[in-house]
Amino acid sequence: MPAAIDHLLPDRLSRIVSLLDRSTLDMLEELRIRENRPLEVIFGGKYSFLSAAGGLTLSAEQAYKPDRDDCLKLLDLITNHSLYSFEEELRRGYITVRGGHRVGIAGRAVLDRGQVKLLRDISGFNIRLAREVRGAAEGIIRTLIDPAEGMIHHTLVVSPPQCGKTTLIRDIARILSEGAWGAGRQPGRGVKVGIVDERSEIAASVAGVPTFDVGSRTDVLDACPKAEGMMMMIRSLSPQVIIVDEIGRKQDAEAIQEAMHAGIRVVATAHGRDIADVQRRPDLAPLFAASVFSRYVVLSGTGRSRRQQVYDGELRLIRLAADKAVAGR
Amino acid sequence: MIKLIGALMVIGASTMYGFYRARSYAERPRQIRQLIHAVNRLATEIGYGSTPLPEALGKLSRQMHKPLDRMFQEAALRLGRERNATVRQVWRETVDRYWGLTAMKSPEKEAFIELGSTLGVSDRDNQLRFLELAKTQLQHEEAAAREEQVRFEKLSRTLGVLGGALIVILIY
Repeated sequence: MPAAIDHLLPDRLSRIVSLLDRSTLDMLEELRIRENRPLEVIFGGKYSFLSAAGGLTLSAEQAYKPDRDDCLKLLDLITNHSLYSFEEELRRGYITVRGGHRVGIAGRAVLDRGQVKLLRDISGFNIRLAREVRGAAEGIIRTLIDPAEGMIHHTLVVSPPQCGKTTLIRDIARILSEGAWGAGRQPGRGVKVGIVDERSEIAASVAGVPTFDVGSRTDVLDACPKAEGMMMMIRSLSPQVIIVDEIGRKQDAEAIQEAMHAGIRVVATAHGRDIADVQRRPDLAPLFAASVFSRYVVLSGTGRSRRQQVYDGELRLIRLAADKAVAGR
Repeated sequence: MIKLIGALMVIGASTMYGFYRARSYAERPRQIRQLIHAVNRLATEIGYGSTPLPEALGKLSRQMHKPLDRMFQEAALRLGRERNATVRQVWRETVDRYWGLTAMKSPEKEAFIELGSTLGVSDRDNQLRFLELAKTQLQHEEAAAREEQVRFEKLSRTLGVLGGALIVILIY
C-alpha cells in the first residue's frame, strides 16, 4: 500500500512511512502532516504518531515533526509544482490526487467579499487514502434490486465519515454497469450508469478518465457540481441510474426529485449516524416527506469491524451484513 | 615567407576574437528578448490555461531557440520527476548550468532566478504579478544591452583587426 501514496511524499516523509510494518500499512486510513507537530497516522480506527525511525509512538516528544521544508515540498508535489492550477480546490479545502486519494489542507483563508477565495500559508495536510474494494457491495446488492423491474431501488446510503460510503457506491456502480447482481454476471443485463463525481472520489478520474473500475457502461462527470451535473446527465447522457456522493444542499434534493420524475433510479449518499440523523436535515426534508427512497443502507464501524444494514422504504430492517468480504481489506 | 604567414595568422586570430566579441554583444539583447517572450508565454499559460508548470515549461522549450530551449526542457523534465526539490531549487540549478552557454550576463540572470523562486507557489493573480515584474526587469536589461551593442559591436570588430595589426607591427 505505501506505493499508493509514495508519489505524493517527499523523500524524507516517504522513508519514514515506508518503515512502518506491513499490517499497519495495510490498514492505513489517513496520514496527517502538520508543520512542527507530530507526524500522525490513522489506521484501523486508531491513531498514533510516527518517530523518525519509522516506529509507532504515542508520545509527542519522540515523534518526528515535519518542518517547513517538508511541508513546502509536499505541497509542491501535491500540486504538481503549480499551486495556481488548484485555485478552485484551494477554495474548497481539498485536492484530489492521482489514485483518488483526497488531501485535505489547512492554512490561512483569504477572503473576497466575505467568501473564502483561497487558502494560503498552508501548513496542515490530511492525506486520506482511497481504496478500491471490489465486492464491497456484493453482500447487499440483492436486497437493493427491485426484482419486478430488474433494476435497483432508489437508494440512500447513510454513514458517518470513514465507514466506506464512497467505496460502496463505487462498487454498486460497477455491479450495475456490468449487470453482475444475482446469479453472477449475465451478459446484456448491464445498465447505463451516470456518476456525478463532484469531489473526484468515486471514480478518481485523472484527465477525465476513471482510474477505479466503475464498470464499462458508466459515464462520469468529473468535478461537476452535483445538482447541475444531475441535470446535465438527464438532458444528454440518458443514464438509467444516477449515482451521487454526499448530498446535502437544497439544490441536490431538487435535482434528485427531478431525476426520479424522469424515470431514473438514484443512488445517493449522505453524512449521518443513522437515518433519523439525515431526516433532521432541513434541506433534505422534502426527500423524506415524499418518501422517495425505497432502500436505505446504513454503514457503521471502521477498520476491520464494518456493518452494513439495509432498510426498506418503511424503515424495516431487511438485511444486516457484517461479513469478511465487507470488512476484509 | 614564414614571417608573412605568421603575421597573417596573428591578424586572423585577433580578427576572429573581435568578431566573436561583437557577436556576443549582438546576441545578448536577442536572447533577453527571447526570455521576455518566454515570460509572456508563461503568463498566458498560467493566467488563461492554468497549465501545470512542468507542462507549461515543456511547451515553452519547443518554442525557444538554442540554447535556451534546453534550459526550459531540462527544468520541465526535472520538475516532472523531482520528488525532493522545490521549483526554486530546480530553477536555480538549471539556470546556473545553462547560463554559461548563453551570451547573457548576471543582471538578467538575477532577475530570472528571482522569478523562479516565485513560480508555482501562489494563486494566479499573484503569479501574473510576479511575471509582470520579471518582464519589466528583463526589458530594462534589454535596453541596456542594446545600448552596449550599439556602442561596442562595431568597436570590437575594428579593435580585433587593428589589435592584430598592432601586434604584427610590433614584432615584425
